[in-house]
Amino acid sequence: MTKYIIRRLLYMIPVLLGVSLIIFVLFNLVSGDPTAVLLGKNATARQMADLREQLGLNKSLWLQYLDVVKSAFTFDFGHSWATKQEISKMILQGAYPSLCLSVPAFVISTVLSLFISLFVAYYRGKGIDLFIRVLCIAGMSISALAYILFFQWFFAFKLGWFEISGFDPEFPHFISYVALPAIIWIVLSIGPDVRFFRTVILDEIYQDYVRTARSKGLSEFTILLRHVLRNALIPIITYVVIQIPSLILGALLLENFFSIPGLGGMTLNALNASDFPVMKAMAILSSVGYILFGLLSDILYTIADPRIKFN
Amino acid sequence: MNKNSLWKDAFYRLAQDKLALISILIVFLYFFVALFSGLGWIASNWSQEVGASNLAPSFDHLLGTDIFGRSVLQKVIRGTQVAMSVGAAAALIAIPIGVILGALAGYFGGWIDDFVTWLYTTFSSVPNIMLLISITLILGKGIFSVYVALGATSWVNLCRLIRGEVLKHKEREYVQAAGAIGGGHMRKLFRHILPNVSHIVIINTSMQFQTAIKSEVILSYLGLGVQGEPSWGTMIDDAKLELVRGVWWQLAGATLAMFFILLAFNILGDALRDALDPKLKGK
Amino acid sequence: MKAFGLIFFVTLFLISSCSKDRNFDEREIHLISPEKISGFDPIHASDTYSGNEIGKVYEGLYEFHPLKRPYELMPNLAESLPTVSADGLVYTIQIKPGILFHDSSAFKDGKGRELKIDDVIYSIKRLADPKLQAKGWWLLDDKIVGLNEWKEKNANLPATNYNEDIEGLKKIDNYTISFKLKKPYPQFLYALAMPYSFIVSKEAVEHFGKEFLNHPVGTGPFILPVFQQSNRIVYTKNPTFREKFYPSEGEEGDDKRGLLADAGKRIPLVDKIIVDVIIESQPKWLSFQKARADLLEIPKDNFDSAVLGGKELAPELKSKGMRLFSNAQLDVTFFSFNHDDPILKNKKLRQAMSMAWDRNEANKLFYNSSAVEAQSVIPPGLGGYRKEFRNPFVKYDLEMAKKLLAEAGYPNGKGLPAIVIQTRNETVSRQMIEHFAKNLEKIGITIKVGMNTWPELVNKVTKRQHQMYTMAWGADYPDAENFLGLLYCPNASPGSNGANYCHPEFDTLFKSATVLQDGPERSAFYEKMNEMVATEMPWIFGFNRTKFYLSHAWLKNYKFMEFNHSQFQYLNVDLEVKKELSKKF
Repeated sequence: MTKYIIRRLLYMIPVLLGVSLIIFVLFNLVSGDPTAVLLGKNATARQMADLREQLGLNKSLWLQYLDVVKSAFTFDFGHSWATKQEISKMILQGAYPSLCLSVPAFVISTVLSLFISLFVAYYRGKGIDLFIRVLCIAGMSISALAYILFFQWFFAFKLGWFEISGFDPEFPHFISYVALPAIIWIVLSIGPDVRFFRTVILDEIYQDYVRTARSKGLSEFTILLRHVLRNALIPIITYVVIQIPSLILGALLLENFFSIPGLGGMTLNALNASDFPVMKAMAILSSVGYILFGLLSDILYTIADPRIKFN
Repeated sequence: MNKNSLWKDAFYRLAQDKLALISILIVFLYFFVALFSGLGWIASNWSQEVGASNLAPSFDHLLGTDIFGRSVLQKVIRGTQVAMSVGAAAALIAIPIGVILGALAGYFGGWIDDFVTWLYTTFSSVPNIMLLISITLILGKGIFSVYVALGATSWVNLCRLIRGEVLKHKEREYVQAAGAIGGGHMRKLFRHILPNVSHIVIINTSMQFQTAIKSEVILSYLGLGVQGEPSWGTMIDDAKLELVRGVWWQLAGATLAMFFILLAFNILGDALRDALDPKLKGK
Repeated sequence: MKAFGLIFFVTLFLISSCSKDRNFDEREIHLISPEKISGFDPIHASDTYSGNEIGKVYEGLYEFHPLKRPYELMPNLAESLPTVSADGLVYTIQIKPGILFHDSSAFKDGKGRELKIDDVIYSIKRLADPKLQAKGWWLLDDKIVGLNEWKEKNANLPATNYNEDIEGLKKIDNYTISFKLKKPYPQFLYALAMPYSFIVSKEAVEHFGKEFLNHPVGTGPFILPVFQQSNRIVYTKNPTFREKFYPSEGEEGDDKRGLLADAGKRIPLVDKIIVDVIIESQPKWLSFQKARADLLEIPKDNFDSAVLGGKELAPELKSKGMRLFSNAQLDVTFFSFNHDDPILKNKKLRQAMSMAWDRNEANKLFYNSSAVEAQSVIPPGLGGYRKEFRNPFVKYDLEMAKKLLAEAGYPNGKGLPAIVIQTRNETVSRQMIEHFAKNLEKIGITIKVGMNTWPELVNKVTKRQHQMYTMAWGADYPDAENFLGLLYCPNASPGSNGANYCHPEFDTLFKSATVLQDGPERSAFYEKMNEMVATEMPWIFGFNRTKFYLSHAWLKNYKFMEFNHSQFQYLNVDLEVKKELSKKF
């Protein structure tokens, strides 16, 4: 197992090389010459040339790519071009609000989805099953933007249950700010979650061991909780763990509309300002997260199901 | 496993599912609306003024008018064309790449497999939204870049699924048997294995289709969507400015249009999976 | 399912009880910034919103009078207006004694020290520091004797040498400086009133190093010990702020408007200013309606729900005591041509395009008929603008447009390829071009939209890869030179003349006008240039826009200001009124 983990960690090297290549190629083509933007509307040609030199944009493409690779492995991202802030600090400051929103929303929506899917699995084939399934699908079929516009207007403004926008880093207070975006997040993710969990649970229900358990006279409820859920947890854990890295980026639209100073909004700003170092940092961080959590999910998989052996 | 019986069986099962049938009907309806609009038979003069600016829905204008006094209904229809073409084009780009790479990797293994696995791991670890945005930025704005961007981000999942499935099938007896009677690699792969994993493509496509339609809205919000043509995305984007002054019909029109097609694709996706993946029979 | 519902509502109740209760006893003001603030380094304060924040903590030698119009400079850190030599080249300025920097760990014992003339020299040098690449460098580029040479010399050194004296920045004594200019530069004092040249201390810059932009240490009325990249900035009153008083005279009528009620009182008048960054217009509007903000620049989209008939405040808002401010901005919007493009060199074509555009309708659709159709480059309110002047080609006349188009060589648009207008990826910009395109279709011209992120648009324009682009130019200072310069040939891309427009006669006039001091002679020059260039249609002139602000009744002393970075120290809040009215929210 240790060997496997080490090998998987080593696999990060080629993947990170690939990721740096992709973002380097993409953003070099995209941003072209960022100096005009960075210097403002009255920039002079001379100053633009000087700045290009300072940012290292006159170096050969090879050397520039090497810089990207270097930062991918050292996590030293330098300073933002647009805001002149230290990127690692920007990320640390932005991570907290992002996580305040995404972690509770993620945990609640996962747990809630699990309960709902157990519920519908218990009543599978009945009217209530169909009703909830259709409700889930219907919920998924509305654009996130529509939810945001309407919920903000209705719940925060008309009913006044939540703050309209903003963020407060102190503990109990931030709840009133993140609650509404979190609810929208939950509404958006409950559909796909329930659909997936239900499929997985039903997958188990038709296995032989369930039939055996049933013939022993165990109640359907006990079977569902003791046997089915335990086995179904394996794919569910995998599915859940794999999603964790995306929590870091938060939700771009939600952060923008609710003025939460998180990483999603930061990334959007960077894109709009040709801020290559920030985009680079975010892309590298999320791919590292993706790989690490992918590995974690595989490890959990074996712990939960010892039949699987690594080779 | 016989491919004919698989499809026949699936068809039989689908035909019994009323919801699925209705969904197919809706999908076809949307396709025809998109096709007719593309051919210029309907909604070709969407850009004409039909009344005053921002008229509420009435019998004359079923979904009201927008800021320029254009009919929202016609814009919704025109938007259907954009949405369906985005979904279809994304699928057309993603399917060949995903299937070919996935099949080659699964079948041949070795360095090809290593390379393809590396490629899709790399692609899937860069956040999707960044890929989408930067591709549309590179190719310039317009519907074409939206196609390419969505295609380029959606092959990854398909590729992984196909690779896994081909890996399983390659050891099956029928493939071994085909090898024994002297079939070459290509023949084995394309004649025998691929037809048996093709249901994955169908299921995946119906899922990708809705992702594509939803992504178009986000791209439009970011100002990177379709240009000079009404799309559901630009309509919802407009609505973010209109809602507070009580102009809700653009949002309603686009959201409803989107709602039904996504609903249909979702139900259809489920039904197809149930029908085509016999292992999951009975759900 | 019932249990679910119960849990849901209990949670909701708990959540709503988590929010902080609002406090009506604190003398605080709540403002909204529509853009993210990147940092607090004055030399990089290129946009209005950064300038607004920097203006709360830092100060310049001069500032615009908060009440008087037309805009007038008054001394701030400086003791008085400067003495200028007869040739207009030497400015001698004295600063007030006893001004203290904010307390900061950068200083000995953490106590802010007195501001000296060395700080002024240091701050000006920072603008020229080749290592910093200040966004405000253009203001002083090639203006002060020896400054460019100093910049040049230090470009290749490992560290900038601030110890070297510069001829144009001469220290007379600890409180007096004499600036020596290369050539007359009548806008020089405006440059000293802009956030770029606000005064910083060497100790703070060196102590905080790269983190300086997060630790503003100024002399201003408010303090902000640390800036964090959050969407809320809280300023508190500077306890060591010098004696500065609310002005006792203003524009005519300011008295009646209650703007002189606080005359002679020591400022700042409030203890706290809280700025929330809100980008999207829906939450902005809703927050104001909930009294979470005291002042709001009305987003265009909320205009209809706030203002009836383009003039009056809606009754339900009025009943809550809200007040409406409408003010002409010093700005001009336009669709610029790229005069490098051989097709667009055709003057008749440009005129035809202008005459086919129904500006009246555009005004109604996009500005609720509140904007003024721009006749030429200079907006109303600046010297050089003549009210009576009408541009014959800024008129909606399809017949004439068709005729001009035919004369241009494209009867009914035949033979004319589609023209692409590049714009920013914003909803309104897109709709605006859609409207223009729809209009031009009527005479047979096809217009296409190109959407860009801001960097992309800037790149296309600086590299001359565009045919046309949309732009709005706001005044940096109240001088038409700032607008006319947009068509001055030596400013062509990558400079601010993105149209790459060149007109020799215009350039000669520009050169001779811009060295003149403000006065009738210069205004006459400006008028001539403005009207000469109008008929040439170097751009499709758009609009001079009006800005609308809403304020709650308890916000006192607010008056619209184009250059508003130093305005916030004068604001006040009436707590009685706030307590009374808050029942209605």
